Amino acid sequence: MNKSFPIILELETPQHPDDIFSFIKMVLAKILDHKMLDIAHQQKIKMILVELITNSIKHSADQGSQIKLVIDQPSLSIQKFEKGLQIEFSASSQQIPFEEVDKILKISFSEENNHHIQPLDRYKFKFLNPHKEGFDIEHMPEHFGFYIITIASDSFIYQYDPEAKENRYIVNLNI
Amino acid sequence: MNINKQKIKEILLITIEDAEANLSKSEQFKELVLQEISAGERKLIISFANVEYVDSSFLGALVAILKSLLPLNGKLVLVEMNNDIENLFQLTRLDKIFVVKDTLETALTEF
Repeated sequence: MNKSFPIILELETPQHPDDIFSFIKMVLAKILDHKMLDIAHQQKIKMILVELITNSIKHSADQGSQIKLVIDQPSLSIQKFEKGLQIEFSASSQQIPFEEVDKILKISFSEENNHHIQPLDRYKFKFLNPHKEGFDIEHMPEHFGFYIITIASDSFIYQYDPEAKENRYIVNLNI
Repeated sequence: MNINKQKIKEILLITIEDAEANLSKSEQFKELVLQEISAGERKLIISFANVEYVDSSFLGALVAILKSLLPLNGKLVLVEMNNDIENLFQLTRLDKIFVVKDTLETALTEF
């Protein structure tokens, strides 16, 4: 087993939903080549990858996206890069670039898809853990990929680079 | 979307035949089940025995189905999930919203 960290792997994401699972099994095998992980961490990595790739297929299938894995001690960073327009919230939410970066914002992508975020700079924010709020079936969203990534990870950050016109999704896991 | 339907007395058992319950199937699955509800089915069991993974789109379809069924005094039980899917339900706390059972036998006792 390779002990020279960090190990960086870069991969093109699949562009069809039915190719996701085989891709994820391949990625997980590559990670396990370098780092032993318990089942709970393996399950979280699979969930995160499923949702990152599904999000790309839904929103930027034509552009394609890249996954970069940084396997380190004691962390794993799963980063997704895709060209295109910045993430856009619903009309009632504050948009990027943020005017205020020192307070928590509530944003939404649809009527029942709300998230609390912490802006980190004008083009960057962190998703905050939604579990504190509680939920019931009436308020359960029908589209909650980012929710899954947030609770499966130790941190989930979105960043937009306006010069490169690139979206970056950075998911970190303590492993 | 490949499903198998089986009637067990007044209960409709829907078995998902595809290994991947994902974005490419979620909308069709939702429509198929909502059609059954529109046709009068109120007691449903959905089996994941053949499913390897579920994504958020498919979870969304299940949420939509449950939201349609509850006001009609219907009941939905999910069964035979693998460890990954069960873990996804626990992590998202959907296991508090849905009735999840290990086996068909225990699911049938819910009705």
